[in-house]
Amino acid sequence: MTDRPILTLEQIDRDEALLEAVAALHGNTRADFLRTAALGSGALLAALATPASAAAADRLTDVEILNFGLRFERLQATFYSEADSVGTVGKMAAPKQRWAEVLGAHERAHVRIIKKILGDKAGKRPFFDYHGVTESEDGFTRTAVAMEDLTVALLAGVTPQVHDRKLTAALFGLLTTEARHAAWARNIVKTTPAARAFDEPQSLDNVRAAVASTRFIVARPRMTRRHRGPRFTG
Amino acid sequence: MGAWALVGGWLRPQASVGKASPEQDVEILNFLLVLEEAQAAFYDAALRSGALGGDLLAFARTVAPHEREHVEFLRGKLGGRADAKPKLGFGRATSDANRFQAAAIDLEEATAAAYIGQGANLTREAVVDAARIVAVEARHAAWIRDLAGADPAPRAADPPRSAEDVLSELRQKGFLR
Repeated sequence: MTDRPILTLEQIDRDEALLEAVAALHGNTRADFLRTAALGSGALLAALATPASAAAADRLTDVEILNFGLRFERLQATFYSEADSVGTVGKMAAPKQRWAEVLGAHERAHVRIIKKILGDKAGKRPFFDYHGVTESEDGFTRTAVAMEDLTVALLAGVTPQVHDRKLTAALFGLLTTEARHAAWARNIVKTTPAARAFDEPQSLDNVRAAVASTRFIVARPRMTRRHRGPRFTG
Repeated sequence: MGAWALVGGWLRPQASVGKASPEQDVEILNFLLVLEEAQAAFYDAALRSGALGGDLLAFARTVAPHEREHVEFLRGKLGGRADAKPKLGFGRATSDANRFQAAAIDLEEATAAAYIGQGANLTREAVVDAARIVAVEARHAAWIRDLAGADPAPRAADPPRSAEDVLSELRQKGFLR
């Protein structure tokens, strides 16, 4: 159950400029899928239509890149954990339930892996508020598809930027897992799992801006609501 | 699996590699070209065989041009230093839906793992290209696994494979002569 109406991309993108940009890059099927996407996922996917500034991450250290990766993996891990704890996952059909559970487990593992690599340089866990999208199957699914595609673009963008070559190989192993998630998610929503021959990278700055526009990361813990279970850490 | 086991797998130094260099990129890209050629030829043979229908046919029709684009892209990067097309054969692997599925999974998985295995060996410029391609190979792998009823993402992090390991699998299966 949602506690507030979910804004859609169609509502904020009245002249359809964003949808046209998405259609140009990803095809009309994608744009149609996005038309009614919840605002959070719409903002994430709109980021995919923005050209990456490839050089932007050059000034970043490996620790900064990994800490942003950690933040993004936590955003995903908490998202799946919350959808599970509020009962959204449990109400879905069995194959889709399995998909959501596997993705959640993988994102939580990614958080552990990146934290382990960062050691005491790991940033603090932020607070999250998904504004109701974890509470409906539709909102959850659309946001999941958007997040997975955006993670692929983020990792494709930052992997060549890391300085430690061993990390490059490690990030490739995460990139392919996220690409599998994205393909699986897309197959579930009946859109093509592999739309193009090349996955286009996104800069860390663009992804950061996209995440900020979702307002999923908040300064303070969300007020507890009656129907919620315990908070999960990601 | 604990995080350390995964991290440990990645951080283990690979014996056969030197420092990344444009010369080494040529060797690695020629190795990856063999895998892309194998995939492109496999899907073309499968489409010609007429053995595919439904979702599998849609998969092959989408993926075949991707693999051809990867071949063209790598050949373009290598220019005059690209190796000749390898001798390939797929025998009965394209003769029915089940064999096609199994071979497609093997080829996509081998290719994705091969790119991961070269992640630490390529120059930064080459990693930019490899990242754009390996993500698509992983999407293909997940897609065909989903169609085959296998787990599309069986691990939280995909492990690397060495060039020797991948090439010997292709030879053993008879795909690479």
